Amino acid sequence: MKKRIVSVLVVAAMTVGMLSGCGSSEKKSSEKDENTLTVWAWDQSFNIYAMKEAEKVYQKDHPDFKLNIVETGWDDMQTQLGTIVGAGNYDKLPDICLMQDFAYQKYVTTYPDLYQDITDCGVDWSEFAEGKLAASTVDGKHYGVPFDNGAEIACYRTDILKQAGYTIDDLTDIDWNRFIEIGKDVYDKTGYSLLSVQADSSDLIYQMLQSAGFGTWTEDGKPDLAGNENIKQCIEIYEEMKDANVLNVVNSWDEYVATFTSGKTAGVINGCWILASVQTAEDQSGKWALTDMPALPGVSSATNYSNQGGSTWAITQNCKNTELAEDFLASTFAGSTELYDTILPKSGAIATWLPASESDVYNEPQEFFGGQAIYAQIADFASKTPSVDLGVYYTEANKALATAIANVSGGSSIDSELKTAQETVEFNMNQQ
Amino acid sequence: MKGKQNATGWAFLLPAIILICAFSLYPMISALITSFQTGTGVNIKFAGLSNYIRCFKDDVFIQSLKNCAFYLIIQVPVMLIIALVLASILNNPKLKFRGFFRTAIFLPCATSLVAYAIIFRSLFATDGFINMIALKLGIINHAYNFLSNPTSAKIIIIIALIWRWTGYNMVFYLAGLQNIEYSVYEAAKIDGASAFQTFFKITVPLLKPTILMTAIMSTNGTLQLFDESMNLTKGGPGNASITMSHYIYNMSFKGVPNFGYTSAMSFIILIMVAILAFVQMKVGDERD
Repeated sequence: MKKRIVSVLVVAAMTVGMLSGCGSSEKKSSEKDENTLTVWAWDQSFNIYAMKEAEKVYQKDHPDFKLNIVETGWDDMQTQLGTIVGAGNYDKLPDICLMQDFAYQKYVTTYPDLYQDITDCGVDWSEFAEGKLAASTVDGKHYGVPFDNGAEIACYRTDILKQAGYTIDDLTDIDWNRFIEIGKDVYDKTGYSLLSVQADSSDLIYQMLQSAGFGTWTEDGKPDLAGNENIKQCIEIYEEMKDANVLNVVNSWDEYVATFTSGKTAGVINGCWILASVQTAEDQSGKWALTDMPALPGVSSATNYSNQGGSTWAITQNCKNTELAEDFLASTFAGSTELYDTILPKSGAIATWLPASESDVYNEPQEFFGGQAIYAQIADFASKTPSVDLGVYYTEANKALATAIANVSGGSSIDSELKTAQETVEFNMNQQ
Repeated sequence: MKGKQNATGWAFLLPAIILICAFSLYPMISALITSFQTGTGVNIKFAGLSNYIRCFKDDVFIQSLKNCAFYLIIQVPVMLIIALVLASILNNPKLKFRGFFRTAIFLPCATSLVAYAIIFRSLFATDGFINMIALKLGIINHAYNFLSNPTSAKIIIIIALIWRWTGYNMVFYLAGLQNIEYSVYEAAKIDGASAFQTFFKITVPLLKPTILMTAIMSTNGTLQLFDESMNLTKGGPGNASITMSHYIYNMSFKGVPNFGYTSAMSFIILIMVAILAFVQMKVGDERD
């Protein structure tokens, strides 16, 4: 009998707990007052941190202002945006949401009601880098305030390079042939791979392509994969590096980050936001140096600069207090050097708002990188990066290329795999 | 009087009926309607059967279908046989620590699908536990990247599934075994039947309804497989281990979404599950 009473009480307590749990969360959204904005972003140490600092900056003039920042992973955000808009349930949307640049075109065209056109919100658009602004502009209308930039960086462990008899200068302004040469030598002498990459991802190929101004689309927006000599060259470089142990291919993102934080690979080539992860390995402080990425060999338009990722703040259709949201973004991310001066050294968020790049903070030496003023360098890389249109069907093309690479690694020929990739993307685009 | 009784019956049924209609029936009908429409995102229009025809022209969908068939053909029989053998071993009243073994084998079912998939991924990683042990024991010379080979990636999914679901099916068999009179086994023993003979002549035939049920449930589960493909292999390498549900998810939420097309793919899975269940029930029918 006693047992029964106890179990009934436990069940009762759980039920009450669940109900009150649901109740309180509902209360929160209905209690939304006029000075609170809800924000979705995905990285505690990066964009959420930046948003919190922006809140502090804005609160100086608007003491009642408050942000409710909800950490929402990029994958979850895609699922949620799709279902919310698909169901027409707009009031579940946040007021402001962070958006990957490569997905902007897709969301604006497939969900025309999702984001507000903020062309006339008082932001001086000419103060943003043009290439960056292109991502969030559709038909001449601006749908977002650009945030961080994904300028491509290459950084290497100087202590390992030294063991093999190289310095960071040997890896600066080189092409991939030279990179492979050095990489083989480093691997033979020290046992370290120079670079790691996540399997089932074609990001590195995209970065190589963009560094020479190449994309995966023809001028009239058709996929340009089959028989594309540039892509073929990139995949050949990729395969050569992999076979020579210069490139270490791992299965997942966490393994990828672990390759350099745990000191198993001697270098990283990726968008500059990766620096936040690189710098988590505090025991490696002072052992890293930063430079530009290798260029494509034998290509006339080749440069040592590229881009990976980057994100932009958007105001959703759900935002009832558009004026407040617009004013907030315009006076922080598009109007406060103070904000960028705070977030840069802590999170490495390279501003795309040009007035911020004149700040002195950029020239401060960074201890982690042996006293190099890396942010000034990255800002310089960003200004030289060729601009490439990633297209509405970027995700499909990226996945198709990743599949092609996986199959080439398994022994298929590049030409036939690129042809299959072309067919896959054409199939995906043919939605009638 | 009778009318009143009926009314009371319906009143008890009503909450369940309302919930099923609202959360199961309505979405299904709505999805069926969507499956006849096509277009990207919210810009959709009616298009008849074109989505269903499109499915069979989609190489990746066909690949995911083949993958699911592979999992089904290999994993379900192996798992059910292991579960049956384990259940009859653990049903022996003379076995010591029966409770402990039963709990231990059932325990994987209590783990979250995502958590166990991620644990399997790290177990089989290039620098993971399995590679480390194999290297230490000298079985292999250098770490093998299990998840980068199409065949080994699929086999790892199957191993993971067997680990996760064998105990679950075993519990059904154990319950079924309770309904078989112990005297039947005693009689067989007196007649001089061996352990194998009792297993194939008594246990298996008397458990037939339970075996049928677990086979249908496992078939259904395998065709709708999602978490393992999503979290363990990410469908990779390439699309070598992707399942149908995972592909539907990718098409709905990763790329440019076409919910009409993805709904149509879901209904194709439904039709396949229905056909397979029907076949299994016919095969298992005892009245022939």
